[in-house]
Amino acid sequence: MTATVLKLIACRLLAAIPILLIVSALLFCILRLLPVDPAAMSLPPNATIEEVEAKRREMGLDKPLPQQYVIWLTDALHGDFGRSIALRRDAGSLVAATLPATIQLAACAMAIAAVLGLGGGLILFRLRGTPFEPVADLASIVLLSIPEFLWGLILLFVFGVMLQWLPFTGQVSPGLPLPHITGFLLLDSLLVGRMDVFLSACQHLLLPAVALGLAFSPTIMRVLRSSLFDVYLEDYIQQARLRGLSERHVLLSHALKNASLPTLTLAGVQFGILFSGTLLVEVIYSYPGMGNLMVDAVRNADLPLIQTVGLTYCIVVLLINTAVDSLYVVLNPKLRVR
Amino acid sequence: MLALQAKDLVVGARIDGAMVPAIRALSFDLPPGKILGLVGESGAGKSMVGRAIAQLLPAGFEITSGSLLFEGEDLVRMAPSARRALLGRAIAFIPQAPMTSLNPVRTIGAQFDEHLARLGERSRSARRDRAVAMLTTARLPRAGELLTQYPHQLSGGMCQRVLIALAFSSNPRLVIADEPTTALDVTMHPPILALIADMQRRHGTAVIFITHDLRLAAQLCDQVTVMYAGRAVESGPARAVLSTPAHPYTRCLQLANPSMRAERRSLYVMPDQMPSLRQLRHLPGCHFAPRCPLVAQECRRDEPPNMAIAADHHVACIRAAATRTIATTAGDSVAAGAAWRPLLQVEGLQKRYDVGGGLFAGARSIAAVKQATFSIAENEFVALVGESGSGKSTIAKMLVGLEQPSAGKILLDGEDLTVASLRCRARNAASLQMVFQDPQSALNPRRRVASIVTQAMEAGSRHANWDERLARTRELLAEVGLSTDFAARLPGQLSGGQRQRINIARALCTLPKILVADEIVSGLDVSIQAQLLNLLARLRAELGFAMLFISHDLSVVRHLCSRVLVMYGGEIVEEGAVEKVFADPQHAHTRELLSSVPPDEPEAAWPPLQGNAS
Amino acid sequence: MASAVFRSLHSPRVLIALGMISCIAFCAVFAGWIAPHDPGDQNLLAILQPPAWAGGGDLNYPLGTDSLGRCVLSRLIFGARTAMLVALFASLGAMIIGTILAHVSGYFGGAVDWIIGRLVDVWMSFPPVILSLILMVGLGVGLSKVILAIVLVDWTRFCRVLRSEVLIVTRHDYVAAARLLGFSHWQTIVREVLPATTPLLITLISLEMAIAVVVEAILSFIGLGVGANTPAWGQMIADARQYVYQSPWNLLLPIFAIFLTVTAFNLLGDGLRRTLDVRLAETGR
Repeated sequence: MTATVLKLIACRLLAAIPILLIVSALLFCILRLLPVDPAAMSLPPNATIEEVEAKRREMGLDKPLPQQYVIWLTDALHGDFGRSIALRRDAGSLVAATLPATIQLAACAMAIAAVLGLGGGLILFRLRGTPFEPVADLASIVLLSIPEFLWGLILLFVFGVMLQWLPFTGQVSPGLPLPHITGFLLLDSLLVGRMDVFLSACQHLLLPAVALGLAFSPTIMRVLRSSLFDVYLEDYIQQARLRGLSERHVLLSHALKNASLPTLTLAGVQFGILFSGTLLVEVIYSYPGMGNLMVDAVRNADLPLIQTVGLTYCIVVLLINTAVDSLYVVLNPKLRVR
Repeated sequence: MLALQAKDLVVGARIDGAMVPAIRALSFDLPPGKILGLVGESGAGKSMVGRAIAQLLPAGFEITSGSLLFEGEDLVRMAPSARRALLGRAIAFIPQAPMTSLNPVRTIGAQFDEHLARLGERSRSARRDRAVAMLTTARLPRAGELLTQYPHQLSGGMCQRVLIALAFSSNPRLVIADEPTTALDVTMHPPILALIADMQRRHGTAVIFITHDLRLAAQLCDQVTVMYAGRAVESGPARAVLSTPAHPYTRCLQLANPSMRAERRSLYVMPDQMPSLRQLRHLPGCHFAPRCPLVAQECRRDEPPNMAIAADHHVACIRAAATRTIATTAGDSVAAGAAWRPLLQVEGLQKRYDVGGGLFAGARSIAAVKQATFSIAENEFVALVGESGSGKSTIAKMLVGLEQPSAGKILLDGEDLTVASLRCRARNAASLQMVFQDPQSALNPRRRVASIVTQAMEAGSRHANWDERLARTRELLAEVGLSTDFAARLPGQLSGGQRQRINIARALCTLPKILVADEIVSGLDVSIQAQLLNLLARLRAELGFAMLFISHDLSVVRHLCSRVLVMYGGEIVEEGAVEKVFADPQHAHTRELLSSVPPDEPEAAWPPLQGNAS
Repeated sequence: MASAVFRSLHSPRVLIALGMISCIAFCAVFAGWIAPHDPGDQNLLAILQPPAWAGGGDLNYPLGTDSLGRCVLSRLIFGARTAMLVALFASLGAMIIGTILAHVSGYFGGAVDWIIGRLVDVWMSFPPVILSLILMVGLGVGLSKVILAIVLVDWTRFCRVLRSEVLIVTRHDYVAAARLLGFSHWQTIVREVLPATTPLLITLISLEMAIAVVVEAILSFIGLGVGANTPAWGQMIADARQYVYQSPWNLLLPIFAIFLTVTAFNLLGDGLRRTLDVRLAETGR
């Protein structure tokens, strides 16, 4: 059975590779077709046309597009993603420096979204048929209407500016050291035994993670509730009741696992979108992650950097989707055993 | 002490703010170890009895008065926790749809284990041993292996055996079996019924057996109660009720059922249909009066009293004495194929599907139809019988062009329909039409009846004006026995039988030479089925068309068709005149199909149930 | 269909939502008449004024002024015009592309379905925020560019959800029956399938409008939206963020405007989903 699961997961991973290739090619094409000349941008404004031409040849921009892509791809596979024009640093290392912070933020937000979503979904479901149902339902729609960037601003205003309970810029308070071992600050600060850094990092992480988690939990909540409604119409629920099982037992050991399958499918898509949602929250909280790098690159039309950061986002999202797909296979016996 | 006693049980349904009794004043006695049959058509309220016992009624329904005494204790007035403690222990249920009644994400073993743990078995290994023992008595091979499997790996019959084993594992004193074979293939009916009868004898359980099949009830049950529109119209010893029915409804129902062995006779047709709960609000007197051939003035005024006509045999009818006089004329609905000219010839038809073909598995080819050769003459009704998955529906789809055959020819009037240039829809549409199985799915819920039945007139570049279409609608509605008022209705406002008539009318719009009918009466009640079978016979006489009639119900086939093709595993294994094939079946599968129909005569022995009477 | 739409007008949700949307749409259409000032007029003598009801407020600027002394109320009203234009045209554009591909894909199945399915897969592996940012880099700022970017990102949402609905509808026997009665593929799609998917379509448009408003605000917030000369709520937020201690109202008012508009569209979508009896797994953002 484990072999079947591994085989299916391997299939999913292999299927992600052609998608990744097409995505990278598309990204490459979109950015090359822009009315921006990377050669001219990487030279001082007073450069002559001849200098620009020479730079173009040096960068390989005079070759046909497919050939340029192959060159870029070969370089990328060797770990060379080009140099950032604005920051004059290796794009790959810039991403490597900021990715852990973003992953750390996204992981905390996902945990918050999952807990709030599952808890809220169960509460919404248990409220069915009571006078609170319409109220709770309306509340879930209102919550659904607040995107992560509004949550970010609202939390920043209430807890940062008005109440001044929590810090809202950066990753740690200024003046504290930034230990660097794995890149994940929470982990690193514990590894070097600096509790003060760890606590400060937690405080700084709290608002952005909650903002993201709050924005994505209502969807999970509503899907779990509607999946539970669907499952409760099934014959096996009635049959479990006819065997004398209590309502609580029916919900927890018969309905929940079935309802979790459609919820999981959606949560996978949601977590992919959540990961890219870190971008706005990072901008709002000046959090030194990939999002701020991306926004700066976009503002400077820094093509190599946009390409590298954009591709990184795509890869992480694909990995999240593959992981959720695999979990789905593990949970669904219809796919696991035939 | 009685296992179950119902006393004047009334289940009310809230409709437009008023309470309408869905079950009215139902009383019965069920002694321990006996089988009580609750018989009736859909909407009679028979399933509501089972739900009332568990008090898991649908939303809007509630027990308004009366009592249900389980071993002397009233289930209606019992505390919910006490009632729940009985469920799954002293009272068990066998469901109608076995495939969907087991949790798809848990193994059979886990579901068995959960149940046995609730019954109080502490040790895990003892629970496992008991589960294996129960599954083995349910005649499931390799029970140990089965425990690790999931429901989707099992067939419907196996799922039902698991559920029967689950139900009897607590040695219950009462089991409610709600149409336990309806969702299964016909050949699965005898073994499942035999298993229930066997388990019932072994555990000495009292059983409430809910069914729509009078013949089956007569074979299996000790007592039967016939229900109509929420009322028990007749009750008594099973064989007595069936051999000398006292209520006109029981008699009509019997005569509406096509017979397997007796002389062919025309079916008795009750007009209309059973009143709905909404209609019951405004129906005084006997509920059967509007359809009753013996109806008298007072029937429409007063509710008939319950009268004893023999020891233990009760009937709720004031005209019960005249019931014997209801009869049908002997007549032959099967027209002999006059000039035997082949209209449709099918030669070596095959259909293969490619399945699988993932990254690690190569594509496999599965043959849905291995080999089919047959022909249909003008005006001839040919039956195609077989189990689900035997390839019947695939043949139907290939005939009308919804699927392309992998090999073989379909010749209509000598022209090959599988040749691309002749696949022209407009030409096919005129000569070959299909009536679909499920009228719910076959009628567009957004079109009105007039638009549906004349839909062929808006196809392609034809633009018939609305007057022409309305005129044609009137003709077609008259043909299928519906009034012109139906033209403006939506399918959602029609009953199942009416929908199927519209379905037939649409197919007849272009006056096709041949109809392909896929299980068109299988989902319908006996009285509605009789109406449709007579309609088809009449339409053939009036309009003249041939039909390929796909069915799993051999009595219906015998009634309507002159020739039969038996399919098994994608091949036609037997073919011939209905009389001859039914009298002297050659292939084992034909014999199996024939033996799965209970005999018409209640006294006759039915081998599947006799075989286990030890 | 018409009767179903009429029936939906009895739902309080739909009525409330339509009321809110009408108000916002009224502001958008008649912005030039109801706004007290030109949204671009700067009054450097009266910068960062609080709303009229707060201490130091000025009735001339009912909701105060921003850091350049522009009237906040006027900018909010003209921002509604931007938001509604984007909501309307972006969702219609995405709907047209997504619907056509979904019907072709779901109805014909086979290779066509496979190709469109993979196209959607590839498209959806770009996170929407990232893809719209990259597109904006390429397209440049401006109202029509924002609309185009949203259409190019969000057609997949329609395509994916509608395709599964088309698959369900196509499985009904009445679609096969129409073919047997001689309907062409085109006739079958338009007369049998499309009427069945229309309720879902209407619901999706409503939800997509909510998404379009948010995306426009996000892009304007980052500075890659409709451009500096067109008032937009996202832009107002970005400006006000720097003066949050001096003038919190400037931050809160556009946030509230976005919230109100998005809630109205989501409420409408939910009300329609209920009254039109649409089965819709949540699609998320």
